[in-house]
Amino acid sequence: MAAPMELSCWGGDWGLPSLHPESLTVMAYAKFSGAPLTVNTINNSWRAQKGDVPVLISEDIVISQPAKILNFLRKQKYNADYELSAKQGADTLAYIALLEEKLLPALLHTFWVEAENYCSVTKPWFASRIPFPLSLYLPGKMSREALNRILLTRGGPPLYSFTEVEAQIYRDAKECLNLLSKRLGTSQFFFGDTPTTLDAFVFGFLAPIYKVCFPRVQLQEHLKQLPNLCRFCDDVLTCYFRLTVSGHSPAGQDTADANLQKLTQLVNKESNLIEKMDDNLRKSPQHPPRKLTTLKLAAGGEESSPLNRLSP
Amino acid sequence: TLCFQAFLQMCNLPIRVVCRANAEYMSPSGKLPFIHVGNQVVSELGPIVQFVKAKGHSLSDGLDEVQKAEMKAYMELVNNMLLTAELYLQWCDDVTVEEITHPRYGSPYPWPLNRILSYQKQWEVRRKMKAIGWAGKTLAQVLEDVDQCCQALSQRLGTQPYFFNKQPTELDALVFGHLFTILTTQLTTDELSEKVKNYSNLTAFCRRIEQQYFEGHDKDSSATVTARSAKRSLLR
Repeated sequence: MAAPMELSCWGGDWGLPSLHPESLTVMAYAKFSGAPLTVNTINNSWRAQKGDVPVLISEDIVISQPAKILNFLRKQKYNADYELSAKQGADTLAYIALLEEKLLPALLHTFWVEAENYCSVTKPWFASRIPFPLSLYLPGKMSREALNRILLTRGGPPLYSFTEVEAQIYRDAKECLNLLSKRLGTSQFFFGDTPTTLDAFVFGFLAPIYKVCFPRVQLQEHLKQLPNLCRFCDDVLTCYFRLTVSGHSPAGQDTADANLQKLTQLVNKESNLIEKMDDNLRKSPQHPPRKLTTLKLAAGGEESSPLNRLSP
Repeated sequence: TLCFQAFLQMCNLPIRVVCRANAEYMSPSGKLPFIHVGNQVVSELGPIVQFVKAKGHSLSDGLDEVQKAEMKAYMELVNNMLLTAELYLQWCDDVTVEEITHPRYGSPYPWPLNRILSYQKQWEVRRKMKAIGWAGKTLAQVLEDVDQCCQALSQRLGTQPYFFNKQPTELDALVFGHLFTILTTQLTTDELSEKVKNYSNLTAFCRRIEQQYFEGHDKDSSATVTARSAKRSLLR
């Protein structure tokens, strides 16, 4: 259908397809929407792109930020948010903002600023994937950028010392994790049974915290106390990133998976519609006046509502 | 500033708005606005909400856990998008900076202090924009982001009177503060306010809150006058 698309991003380890939250988000979205992406992990060659990762290359178009890449995929008809109502789309934006404001600083800190973590895990891992002599410079630059971002966005008064800033960002991150857990509840994904953009972002941010083995792990310990979020990450990994022992999923299985997934999405959509119709029919004789107002609100608030056809 | 006034009025707490040139220095966190109650001084929305809650007034008690999570998420969205866009427009758009922001920010001070302070603030804001990745955005992209944010807010509000149906919450106060400022402040172009005006339920929301909480008081004209001068101080 579309031109072949290549995604350039950081590779993975510890059971993850990628260690980099933004790369992971894009890869997860591609899996959810069935987009055929060839993933090139950055390795020791000079040809690979290093700035602004992840980068999507399709014919002559080069797109670099996750939000823009996801927009591009949606325009190419790989849309994982097809079934969402307008309000759910709005909720998606709000929760993504929450993730970026509250969780990202602590994530950056755990990876790039916390001295023990950085020296023993992050720096060697990234340096091994960047060619010499850039490997001496680039991890340090990424670390400085992370620290800069944390200080500029969260480091103003009344927090005057760096330890206070650190304490505050971890408090915020734990609160954010609690909020996400409450929102997820017992459902499989954030909006029902099919994964959407929000699931991709949450997975991209949570999976590195969950899986990477750091010496200092207060965020990981907090996450492990929220079993529904851990289950969510594991589910996405096993269902969508079926990694074999060597860490690469066989290419041929991908297209079969994508087709099966599209079929499952269609079937789910149909069964959701049928369920909604059943619910309406069951509810309508009991509360006629309230039903009318909910229908009117639904007609105003949602763009494509099957309930319209059933107004009594 | 308006979000605080709105929030405090929604809690039915009487307030008096005062404009001072050294307000930034009086505030404990260096950020405006702040409230002065008895012998306590509290600044910024988060701590003020906590303070008011500790005194026994809270707007979000009626919400369940999931709704509270949603409310926090939407407040972050407003802070992330609208606040950053407002900052961008004031300090990174060259036309606006020259004609409006520099004169306004430096107005209480004599030359050359006014120019120095406003350049310093501009450099600070631009550094922050660069750190979060907004430095490369053009004005058109920023306006598009604002549009997306307004669309999300409009869809969430739907036809309800407030974001969480019958009762106003902190989110309503925050959204009102930002939108009202955007709608009523004079800038070089009207594009920002046009974006908001595209969503009629948002403008109706602002008008409703203004009528309910800002015009039905004895200090009618003084409240709106101080509200307008408080708006100007928001641009500092």
